[in-house]
Amino acid sequence: MRGRNSLLSICLESVGYLDLGSRPRCGTAVAELSPSMERQPSLSVVVPVFNEEQSVAPLVAAVTAALAEDGSWELVLVDDGSVDRSVEIARQAAAGDSRVRIVRLARNYGQTAAMQAGFDHARGTIVVSMDGDLQNDPRDIPRLVAELEKGYDLVAGYRERRQDKLVSRKIPSWVANRLIRWITGVSIRDNGCSLKAYRRDILDRMALYSDLHRFIPAVAAATSGARITEIPVRHHARQYGVSKYGLSRIAKVLADLLTIMMIRSFRERPLRLFAAGAAGAVALAVAFAAAAIIAFVFFRPEKGLAVILPAASLLWLELGSYLIMLGLIGEVALREWGRGSTADYFR
Amino acid sequence: MEQMVVTPEMKPVTREERRVAVSVIVRVTERPEDLEALYHEYAGVLEDAGLSFEFIFAAPPWADSALAPVSLLAERGSDIRIMRAGQPMGEAFLLRAAAAQCQGAIVLSVPAYFRVVPSAVVDLVRQVERGADVAAAIRSPRRDGWVNRVQSRAFHFLLSHLVGSAFSDVACGVYAIRREALASIPLYGEFFRFLPLLAQREGYRVQEVAAAQHSLDRRVRVHGLGVYLRRLIDILGLFFLLRFTDKPLRFFGLVGSVLAVSGGGILFVLLVQRIGGQGIANRPLLLLASLLVVLGVQAIGLGLIGEIIVHVNATTRRTYRVARSEEDSA
Repeated sequence: MRGRNSLLSICLESVGYLDLGSRPRCGTAVAELSPSMERQPSLSVVVPVFNEEQSVAPLVAAVTAALAEDGSWELVLVDDGSVDRSVEIARQAAAGDSRVRIVRLARNYGQTAAMQAGFDHARGTIVVSMDGDLQNDPRDIPRLVAELEKGYDLVAGYRERRQDKLVSRKIPSWVANRLIRWITGVSIRDNGCSLKAYRRDILDRMALYSDLHRFIPAVAAATSGARITEIPVRHHARQYGVSKYGLSRIAKVLADLLTIMMIRSFRERPLRLFAAGAAGAVALAVAFAAAAIIAFVFFRPEKGLAVILPAASLLWLELGSYLIMLGLIGEVALREWGRGSTADYFR
Repeated sequence: MEQMVVTPEMKPVTREERRVAVSVIVRVTERPEDLEALYHEYAGVLEDAGLSFEFIFAAPPWADSALAPVSLLAERGSDIRIMRAGQPMGEAFLLRAAAAQCQGAIVLSVPAYFRVVPSAVVDLVRQVERGADVAAAIRSPRRDGWVNRVQSRAFHFLLSHLVGSAFSDVACGVYAIRREALASIPLYGEFFRFLPLLAQREGYRVQEVAAAQHSLDRRVRVHGLGVYLRRLIDILGLFFLLRFTDKPLRFFGLVGSVLAVSGGGILFVLLVQRIGGQGIANRPLLLLASLLVVLGVQAIGLGLIGEIIVHVNATTRRTYRVARSEEDSA
């Protein structure tokens, strides 16, 4: 064994944290280690890193240079289970600089989980998220922070002159952003740009899962009524490594949008959504029933005629009752939610 | 004001409360064999390897006769504890219950029948000591008859194609695991069978260790049809669990939209024909189209309910796990 048998380290191991500065909030057990807490930085820059061995050193240098004027900041690099030398190089680049912290995830969990891990470990009252592939420019960070301090909860960057391929990246992105704006009601030009600044309490009020990192402004608006604005930021073409996105994400984005619509409008009352669907189904059932009656009364019912219209009517009626039942199950799922704390939702 | 003072209960330190290196959990289910022989085989090799150990036999209520010989050993003072569930509980539950009671930092979990040669378990424990979170035995060299092998092949073929498992003998069921890792893996129902896969999903380091198959494991096993069906359902469940638990709408939405869009397409064609003056009330296609749309909407609705459940639970759980600290100097 590693000679680490003290009860404390076993506890910490089991929890998965032994990072003294971490501020895990909830979920599994929490180890609070305040005595050794250092000075809290006011600004945390969170960067998920996945197989970016060429980008990570320039990234650390760029952030350090960009924030040279700032008082206290930290850079939280979240290694999302990289299989290349990213972590090693990041450590070398940090070279004992305690402002650069590395959080290693146990495996590759995807960008959303990595982002959430970064938010959980960030200690600053202002948190900035950024991509790990040098497409965002850390020199924009002070501008985002300045904008945030004007009284916003979330400042999103949008890429003004985007250095990407037109067909595979820009057009799908344009369509997606239109859709997102239309469905979520949050007017953000560029949801795909990771460079954003947040107030701590906004992050504390939301939990990211699945692939929700693409919709942070929408989630923030839906769950905590964040005041959101956006400013143009620089964008560089990818220099190293390969893009981790593909066209296949369109279907996923659509599913996620439906989810957000659900969260936004019906989180507290799923029965309403399902009742609306049920009303549509019942309307169709009535229409088919009417057609069946008309057919029966005015025309000599042929063999098929007598069966198909009433059967279709019954099918739609079934859908209506099924949806109502689903809505009721939804209310069951929300029962505990109704008992949860409301404190987090107020400023 | 009287203050409540909580004093730690002063228990005499009994022999049972000393820390042991390895807790052997024997899951007594299915087809328990000679448990006394099993105990002696494993205890012997652990003793020879200089590892301190305890045995926990976790058993459902009906296993009393199989447990009788080891109960006798326990009464005579061997390092054996017997946990009898009050009601029929599954293997996952037995394992979790025993894990909650055990003292070793490393848990060695074995079925109540012979699987691999006993000396192999020491290798498993050593692998965990060296840093693996889970060391799972694979029966190799395997000396089974072809009937057993064909079954195992089919099982792992499905596993690797549906779930993307890279493990070669998940069903072996002999593994050593850090106790903390075991406690944090969600184990329920029939999924205990896939523990190496679940551990890997939780971000734990799982290592396969070759272990010669036990001579008593070679008898031909042919199960009833129901058993095979249940395995198939388990794999399907695992497929969903691993890929879609955080995003149920991805799954139900895909199924639902394929159904609804094809149904909607047919309805549209019928509508065009109706406008063109053709009667559609006697077309069975109308029923099929309606049915497809109904099914599709139902699937999407189910997915939305799934999303509500995930969302409600999201604030209290995290989908990631931070790597173990000794590998991390940050």
